[in-house]
Parts: sequence; C-alpha cells; structure tokens
Amino acid sequence: MKITVTVNAADYTRDVEPRLLLIHFLRDDLGLTGSHWGCDTSNCGACVVWLNETPVKSCTVLAVMADGQRVNTVEGLATPARLDPVQEAFAACHGLQCGFCTPGMMMTARWLLDNNPDPTEAEVREAISGQVCRCTGYENIVKSVLWAARRESGGAGAVPGLRPGEGLTGEGLPRA
Amino acid sequence: MAAGGTGQVFPRNIVAAAWGHDHERAGADRVDLNTVTEFAPATEATWRDGDAWLGGGTFLFSQPQPGVTRLLDLAAFDWSPVTEDADGVAIAATCTFAELARWRPSHAAFAPFAALAARCCHALLGSFKVHNVATVGGNLCLSLPAGPVTALASTMDGVVLLRGRGESRGMPAADFVTGDGRNALRPGELLTRLWLPAASLSARTAFRQLSLSPAGRSAVLVAGRRDRFADTVVTVTASTPRPVCLRFPAPPTPAEAVAALDAQRPEYLDDVHGNAAWRAAMTRRLIGEVLAELAS
Ligand SMILES: Cc1cc2nc3c(=O)[nH]c(=O)nc-3n(C[C@H](O)[C@H](O)[C@H](O)COP(=O)(O)OP(=O)(O)OC[C@H]3O[C@@H](n4cnc5c(N)ncnc54)[C@H](O)[C@@H]3O)c2cc1C
Ligand code: FES
Ligand code: FES
Repeated sequence: MKITVTVNAADYTRDVEPRLLLIHFLRDDLGLTGSHWGCDTSNCGACVVWLNETPVKSCTVLAVMADGQRVNTVEGLATPARLDPVQEAFAACHGLQCGFCTPGMMMTARWLLDNNPDPTEAEVREAISGQVCRCTGYENIVKSVLWAARRESGGAGAVPGLRPGEGLTGEGLPRA
Repeated sequence: MAAGGTGQVFPRNIVAAAWGHDHERAGADRVDLNTVTEFAPATEATWRDGDAWLGGGTFLFSQPQPGVTRLLDLAAFDWSPVTEDADGVAIAATCTFAELARWRPSHAAFAPFAALAARCCHALLGSFKVHNVATVGGNLCLSLPAGPVTALASTMDGVVLLRGRGESRGMPAADFVTGDGRNALRPGELLTRLWLPAASLSARTAFRQLSLSPAGRSAVLVAGRRDRFADTVVTVTASTPRPVCLRFPAPPTPAEAVAALDAQRPEYLDDVHGNAAWRAAMTRRLIGEVLAELAS
C-alpha cells in the first residue's frame, strides 16, 4: 500500500506491507533508528513517538494507520543549533545509562512539559509509567525531567534530591 | 550482549538485533503479524474468514495472530466517541480510553457515571500511551476478566449493540462476556456501540480495585451503583472469569450480598495476578467496602 507520512515535518511516501508496524517503518524504511524496538508487546515504551501530537507506542500502530498523519520522533527534538532542554537534562543529570529506553522517555517527557510545564515528581512518574528502564532505577530520569522543567521556566528552584550543581554529569566533586 | 548469560531472558527481537540479523531476515522476523496481507477500511469491506476488526490494536499487535489475514480498520467509521441525550449515553466502539476518561457530560445528572467511567479507564493496566489508542469496543470484545469496560457496562445496565451479516441485535453487557476471553459475538459480528440508560447514569456509584502491584492488572474489581429508589447493583469482575452481577431491590447488608455472591457459585481465577483464595477473600471485603460507600 502506498502511504505518505509526515515525520518530523518532512513528507515520506513509501510502498509498505499492510502488516508493517510504525516502529519498523520508521527504523527500517526511513532509517530513523532513534526510536527503539524493545518488547513488541506494548509494554516497554522504548518505541514511543507522537502521532498527531499524542504519544503512542509505535509498536501498537500500523504504518498504514499513520497514512496522512504527522509523526514526531526523537530525531526531531533537537535543532541543528541546539539540543532540546529535555536532551540537555538527560545529559546533565545522567538520565541514562545504556540509552535503550531514552528515546521513548524523552518523547514522553517533551509531551509532558508541553502540557504541564511545572510537573510534580509524582506527575513525572505517572507520565513515564508504562516505560521500562532496566538501568537507572528511574531516579535520574525523574530528576532530568524536573531539571528540564526548571530550565524551561527559567527558574533556579531545587529539584528534589538534586541540589543545584550537585550530581550533574561531568561536574567535579568537591574536595575535602 | 550475552543473552541469558546472567539468567535474564531478553525479548527475542533484542537478541535478534544483537545477533546482527540482516535487513531481509529482520524484515521477515520483525512482525508477529506475519499472516496479515491486507488492511482495509471497515466501511468498505465485507467480512470473510481470516478477518479481524481492528480497534486500537493494543492486543492485536501485541502477540501473534496466526489466523488473521486481513485487518478491518474501524476508525474508518469515524464515529463520535461519546454522544448523550436525555435518554442516556452512547459510547462508540472506537472511543478510546483517553477520550472516555476526558469526557464530561453536558447533563449534570450523569456526573456520577462520568466519574466511575474515568476510574474504570484508569483501571486498565497500561500507561496513557496505551490509553490513547485502546478502545472501549476492543476491551469488551477481548473479554479479559480484568476488562474495566466490562465492569463499567455491567454495573450501569449497559446494552451492547452488535451488527452482523444482515442483522443487528442488542444484549445486556453483563451477559456479553461469557468467560475468560470468550463472549457472545458471532463470527463476523461487530460491536458498534455501548448504550447506557439514563436511569443508571445518575445513580450513586462506588469502585474498588486491587492488584498485586501499584499499577498492576486488576485481580479484583468491584463496582456498585445505588439508584434513587435504592435499587442496588454490585458487579464483580477480574477475580472471576466473567462478570458476576448482584441485584437487590433495597440496599443489602454485606452478609446478604456475600450470600447472593456465593449463591452464584463463582469460580475464582488462580493465576499470576492472584491466587483463588485471596481473590475470593478480597472480593468479599471489597463488596463490603462498596456497600458502605454507597450507604454513606
Ligand atoms: C501494557 C498493556 C496492558 C494491558 N492491560 C489490560 C488490562 O488491565 N485489562 C484489560 O482488559 N486489557 C488489558 N490489555 C489488553 C488490551 O490492551 C485492552 O483490552 C484494550 O482495551 C483492547 O482494545 P483495543 O482497541 O486495542 O483492541 P484490539 O487489539 O484492536 O482488539 C482486541 C480484540 O477485539 C476485536 N475487536 C476490536 N474491536 C471490536 C469491535 N468493535 N467489534 C468486534 N470485535 C472487535 C479484535 O478483532 C481483537 O480480537 C493490556 C494491553 C497492554 C499492551
Ligand atoms: S517495543 Fe513498543 S512498547 Fe516495547
Ligand atoms: S538507560 Fe538502559 S534501559 Fe534505561
């Protein structure tokens, strides 16, 4: 079937099999391998993208269902000049280890902050529920999202569990 | 990556990626839907063997569907998710959990129903990313014991509207689910909508749900409703393979309700979500809590 999908504001027309999932369309047909394919059962959330500004698990959508629709993936977060604050936050707060869950986490975090610029820690945890991280224990992911919220609001308020300047990746440790 | 080397079981696709399958090979393996060859708008297709109605796909795409060769996309109907008038509320089969949870009635009297609907929506294990696509019709038709729409529809005396080849019929939602993953659908029949009568929508409602982990699949779900004239309905789902509906002309005591439950000789599920004895005990306890809340 011939489909045209707008991915990160660019139109792509391809002939695809009706059974092709959106995640495979993005990764294999378009070469956008930022979105990850983990469980294939809608459980892990590594494949989260936005379909018309709504976060969905792209292993739960057929490519043909995205025909004529808009999709945003992690590749669309940064501009050539600048990382998205969510990306900066994950780097600054060590919000990832292996990085497998990170694209999905960041797409959800971006959506959360667009809809709730000042989330509580509980709201962040709620938003990333249904997304599995085997490495971080989630603590630094939550800190990253809160850090990004502070950065975007221009505020310097403390992020719970992270004193200003403390724990940022690459920062020197105070010497005794 | 040493698959299994640490005793962990990695999903087979992660292992496949680590083993460096080439593109063609990955293409053949990459989808469980390897028998599906066609996708068609449901409005333009006549049902045939090998077809599956496609709601949100959260079940259809999550495991192999060996008998399915064609998916019929229900989105093509473009039904309004929720419509209401003084007689009641109609929820389209294609209404998503997110749409139902967000819905606010224009008839103030239906507010108790809207509140119960939102709680049931959140009782589906799965984050809002699943709620954004999973549908009311898909939940009823998948007919899992932990199907929260089954609980909602049964408690509200809902009627499911079914469209088959050349005939349409309605049946009480409480009778629709007949067992774990089983229902009254005939081959090719489509559930078009769920109808909820006004009389039950303004009733006082109460809801209790238990699972073994904070956002886990429901092991016991008890929902209750008490009408203006004190008619009381209590529905048990999740702990039993099919809904158990208890009806009383006047508010029962907990002992009366439990006696009515036992009289139906429900079978309690025994699986990873909870063992049968625990589920039976918790069902009784939650019935008591629901009745207490309805009376308060
Ligand atoms: C992470 C996760 C957690 C889940 N947790 C739960 C849970 O707690 N409780 C629960 O009940 N389910 C759960 N599910 C299963 C499933 O997601 C839900 O039951 C969901 O509501 C199914 O709806 P859907 O629209 O995605 O169905 P689909 O996958 O589209 O369809 C499900 C089945 O119903 C048929 N069907 C769909 N619509 C119709 C219709 N209108 N008429 C006739 N047949 C139809 C399909 O052909 C298919 O056989 C979970 C799934 C995931 C991925
Ligand atoms: S690959 Fe989609 S949720 Fe895991
Ligand atoms: S960083 Fe490895 S799974 Fe999350």
